[in-house]
Amino acid sequence: MRALVSLLFVGFGLAALAPAARGQEIPALTTDGFAVPRPDPVFAFPRDHGAHLDYKIEWWYLTGHLYADEGPVPRRFGFQATFFRSAAPRSVAASPGPTAFGHDQIYLAHMALIDVSTGHFLHQERLNRAGWDATASTTTLDVRNGDWSLALADPAAMSGAETLTLVGGIRADARFALTLVPKKPLVRFGAGGYSRKGTAPTAASYYLTFPRLAATGTLTLDGRALRVTGEAWMDHEYSSSQLDQNQVGWDWLSAQLDDGRELMFYRLRTTDGGTDPASTLTWVDRDGRTSTAPFRWEPLTTWKSPHTGAIYPQRIRLTTTDPATGAEAVFLVEPFHPDQELGGSLGGVTYWEGACRILSPAGASLGAAYLELTGYDRAVEALR
Amino acid sequence: MNGSLLPLLLRRLSLRHARLAPGQTALLVFILALGVAVFTAVRLANRAAVSSFTHFTDTLTGQSDWIIQAPAGPLPEAVLPELRAALADLAVQIHPVVESTAAEPLAPDAPAEKRFGRRTYTLLGVDLVAVANLAAQQAAADPFFRARAAADTPATPAGFFDLFGAEPLAWASPRLTSPLPESLELIIQDRPVRLRLAGPIPRAPDGPVAPPNLLVLDLPRLQELVGRAGRVDRVEFVLEAGPTLENRRAELGRRLEQLAAPAPGEAARWLVSTPGARRDTAATMTQAFRLNLTVLSLIALLVGLYLVFQALDGAVVRRRAEIAVLRSLGVDAAVIRRAWLAEAALLGLLGGALGLLLGWAGAQVAVRAVGKTVNALYYTTTVDAAGLAWGEAALSLAAGVVASVLAGWAPARAAASTPPAQVLVRGAPGAIGGRWLRSPALAAGVLALGVVLSRLPPLDLGGGTRFPLAGHIAAFCGILGGGMLAALALPVLGRALRPLAVRGAPWRVALGHLARPSGRHRLAAAALVCAIGMAAGMAILVASFEKSVRTWVQTALQSDLYLSSSGAQSASTDNHIAPATWRALAAHPAVAHASVFSAYPLTLEGKPTTLGGGDLADQAGRGGFLWVDGPPAPETLDPAHNAGLALVSESFSDRFRIRRGDTLTVPTPGGSQTLRVAAVFADYGNERGTVLVDRMHTVRWFADDHATSLALDLAPGASAETVRAELLAAHPGLAIFTNAALRVEVLRVFRQTFSITYALQGIGLAVAVVGLALSLASVLLDRRDELTTLRALGFRRGEIAHATAVEGGVLALCAALAGIALSFALGWLLIHVINKQSFGWTLAFAVPGAQLAALGALVVATGVGVSHLVGRWGADLPSDREE
Repeated sequence: MRALVSLLFVGFGLAALAPAARGQEIPALTTDGFAVPRPDPVFAFPRDHGAHLDYKIEWWYLTGHLYADEGPVPRRFGFQATFFRSAAPRSVAASPGPTAFGHDQIYLAHMALIDVSTGHFLHQERLNRAGWDATASTTTLDVRNGDWSLALADPAAMSGAETLTLVGGIRADARFALTLVPKKPLVRFGAGGYSRKGTAPTAASYYLTFPRLAATGTLTLDGRALRVTGEAWMDHEYSSSQLDQNQVGWDWLSAQLDDGRELMFYRLRTTDGGTDPASTLTWVDRDGRTSTAPFRWEPLTTWKSPHTGAIYPQRIRLTTTDPATGAEAVFLVEPFHPDQELGGSLGGVTYWEGACRILSPAGASLGAAYLELTGYDRAVEALR
Repeated sequence: MNGSLLPLLLRRLSLRHARLAPGQTALLVFILALGVAVFTAVRLANRAAVSSFTHFTDTLTGQSDWIIQAPAGPLPEAVLPELRAALADLAVQIHPVVESTAAEPLAPDAPAEKRFGRRTYTLLGVDLVAVANLAAQQAAADPFFRARAAADTPATPAGFFDLFGAEPLAWASPRLTSPLPESLELIIQDRPVRLRLAGPIPRAPDGPVAPPNLLVLDLPRLQELVGRAGRVDRVEFVLEAGPTLENRRAELGRRLEQLAAPAPGEAARWLVSTPGARRDTAATMTQAFRLNLTVLSLIALLVGLYLVFQALDGAVVRRRAEIAVLRSLGVDAAVIRRAWLAEAALLGLLGGALGLLLGWAGAQVAVRAVGKTVNALYYTTTVDAAGLAWGEAALSLAAGVVASVLAGWAPARAAASTPPAQVLVRGAPGAIGGRWLRSPALAAGVLALGVVLSRLPPLDLGGGTRFPLAGHIAAFCGILGGGMLAALALPVLGRALRPLAVRGAPWRVALGHLARPSGRHRLAAAALVCAIGMAAGMAILVASFEKSVRTWVQTALQSDLYLSSSGAQSASTDNHIAPATWRALAAHPAVAHASVFSAYPLTLEGKPTTLGGGDLADQAGRGGFLWVDGPPAPETLDPAHNAGLALVSESFSDRFRIRRGDTLTVPTPGGSQTLRVAAVFADYGNERGTVLVDRMHTVRWFADDHATSLALDLAPGASAETVRAELLAAHPGLAIFTNAALRVEVLRVFRQTFSITYALQGIGLAVAVVGLALSLASVLLDRRDELTTLRALGFRRGEIAHATAVEGGVLALCAALAGIALSFALGWLLIHVINKQSFGWTLAFAVPGAQLAALGALVVATGVGVSHLVGRWGADLPSDREE
């Protein structure tokens, strides 16, 4: 489960909310006219790496850890590259055919980079209408927003043979061009890619992930080009309504453990401070098979943002069960730096998304992670 | 003598006299102030008219790094992805722009003159989604869109998706009105359109506030409204912040130039420029016009200068006794000289300060006149308030002080050279004042210099602007030389009129004085000649211009009805008639023939000009061209055979140095066209010049069927007024003129363009007449002893006034005759040198006889009247009073 698109139209999703309970029949369309994810999906690739314009929101979300070989100790970076798509409300008349300045789809993108050694954090957001400067292919993975892009190197690549290219940057301060090769097959979270997000029948998404991608490429920082290698995670998720009315936000974690397994965790927080039952922790084993497990999520410290005043959990103890052994597993999630908050004027939503290390309770390094914390500034309206 | 004497001298000498004769001092200050005021008003008005040319996009982007624009017509949208791919590594935002104009609608029954006073809007179309990415926009306090809160009703203004609703939205300048109206009714192209105002144009911190006539729309919406689908007018580039900005800017410029590189035989695909360069181009375009106005405004200051000289010189003569006493007391000549110069400077400072205030007030009026001319001839501006900068204020004060000190130089020297001994021979005539006015050789020399200068070519200011510097100096020589000649003619006239002395004692006294005129008389005459000569010269220019325009209008306007978009107000507005509209009009049963004209702005050699497409055969067939170099061979007028042939206007020929038979290459979206000039025609409507081809070709080159204007011939029996009313009812967005109405309208606009020059002439004349009064008063003060004698001989007050009136009247007559004679030379200079070199228009010489006679009569009558009043005042002067 991943982030947000609130764009500038915070609130328009309210109409989508139908009072509903578990077991209700899933409608064909949301009340505002968008397709609703249904159980037992059948995916076809590379088409389903591309955009699904019948659904209201969609994102391609990359996070990763990069190492530049300079000096005796590799210089470490964390990066985030997110491409959002959001359909215009059905009340807006469709663009008349293909146009350089369309308005059926709006594209938002977020880029962030942290220099782990200095804590220097850069981020930028970008908004464009569908047209000459932003598009998403509906036949393959090819998403573009200005000079940022994510695409399959071979647009017709069969499933399992994908190589991705990512070009991103932050203003003229940083620029990265990465080649990403999956180390594991595509993972379908939820029931075969159908992921429930709440009790309303429409509160679900399709959720596809490359949990471990080998990254190689160039990171240009302050005019200097660095060769970088590392590992990345990519989510592709689309839906028409994600949050229930009683949910205020979520905590999300993707952890790549040194033993070759991954953890994906999300916790939907309710207005009363509790955890929605749709919250899930999923293990991905070395072969890409998934299994869910019970969890306990305990923030140990907090950080107050000097930019927005929002208070975010920081050091977190995550307790779960190791599916391989059946034993209790305890992980400490620890941000490299507290200030990895993305406050944007375009998206209208402030959230925290940052590079973390995973430690054992004794302090031994177990892996790397990205943590996402939303709704701490204010409730995420757009996804209700 | 030590310097501390200076304040004492100033106090005891200068200020005391000022106190004793406050009226005279005030008058002098006022004359100087008028001169400074005219100069200041014109400068301020010029600046306001030009500064209101804004590179509008800066309001949104902060400042673009580069701009590209096709040399002619719009750019296709296809260049946008090409640019993105070619510039992918430069971290640059690419913002396409569509720009057009709109006007307030005109009530159908409104009088025609209302048509040109209406507010014109600049419509700026930018991608309002992408604009949000600009740093300047993200820093704006109040962005284009506000996130819609859950409690908001769907009608909350400017919710993001309202942008794409059925109703066109526009953002207006907070300076338009407060509060902003709900919506604006505008004429866009040929249609009335209602734009709902979504809110104020956001302002970046420290950024400029949008000018009041700016409206911002979403780009595709404006494309649709102005019929420019798939095309943009320019593309602006804004580099992302970050290191090596200067290098990246330079690299981006290089890359854009490379990408624009033409195929062999073609023009560059686009022109690369910066916002600064665009502003400079606009300033250069109007430079000749503004310089000409400034020079004209200096005339008033020049007349003022004559008069200050006159007054100070008079004061030196009258206070000679006082000075001689001071000298005999041992006061150093240098101190006396400094005291006089300080007095002159003080006068200048007072005059300058008062002139500054008057000038600022005058500028508020003048800026409208200047703005109208700039609008009609160059580009769309808004009439902004003429602000006063410190620099301008300092310049005005300096103009007053410098003019005054310059005029006071010779009198101060004369004062300093007053010998102490002279106190003993009080009353000896001081041969002071304008010795140079008595030298025929000098006068002839100055006039000869003027003749030589008038033959010199203009100064090239770059960007296709030329300034007739030598011509202006020649005019100055003419004024100076003319004034000197008049001064020389004064005694001749005085002697010639001697037979009139039989009419009585006052005549005898007056003619006696004139036969031996003092320097003061000569100066007054010279100043009057200067003002009259210039006013009459301008009158000849305007009359010649009007005659030429009248001939041109009668030749060029032959159709029954003329149609354009009601929004079109000048050469610079971008309002066209859609193909469907003009085709419907042409097919109207009452229309026998429709002649369609399309105009496209064009940039050649970096200079803006115009490419027109018209029905050449039709226009030539009616004798609609005034040939400067022609007529062309018959095939030029035949669309089947005139590909590659063009007609150019005289202004074009002059600006681009292209004559009949030369070839020129014109860039168009459909490729570069090489054209041979078949003939040169006169066109007084466009100072930038026009290249004219058959419209068949422009339709193809620009892939565009819009019309700029339409001329309709009606079927026999159809009434122009009836058809006009009918068409107007069906197309409320059009302006439709009958032939007669358009002729009147063209001449009205023409006169309006010259309105500011009339005002300048009037002020110059007023200064000269006031100066005449001041001179005579000064003369009478010099002759206080004589007046006492006359009174003692039994002269009555009325007789003295009579004598003075004769003296002033003959002086005015002399000046009027000389001034009008001079005006013929000045008129010739203005028409054939200054106008031709600045604007490239050939004008037929026309003399407005009645107007010149009236001007002369007015000056003489005013001279007589004013002199009579001065005489009455002089008669009452007590003989023993100081001054």
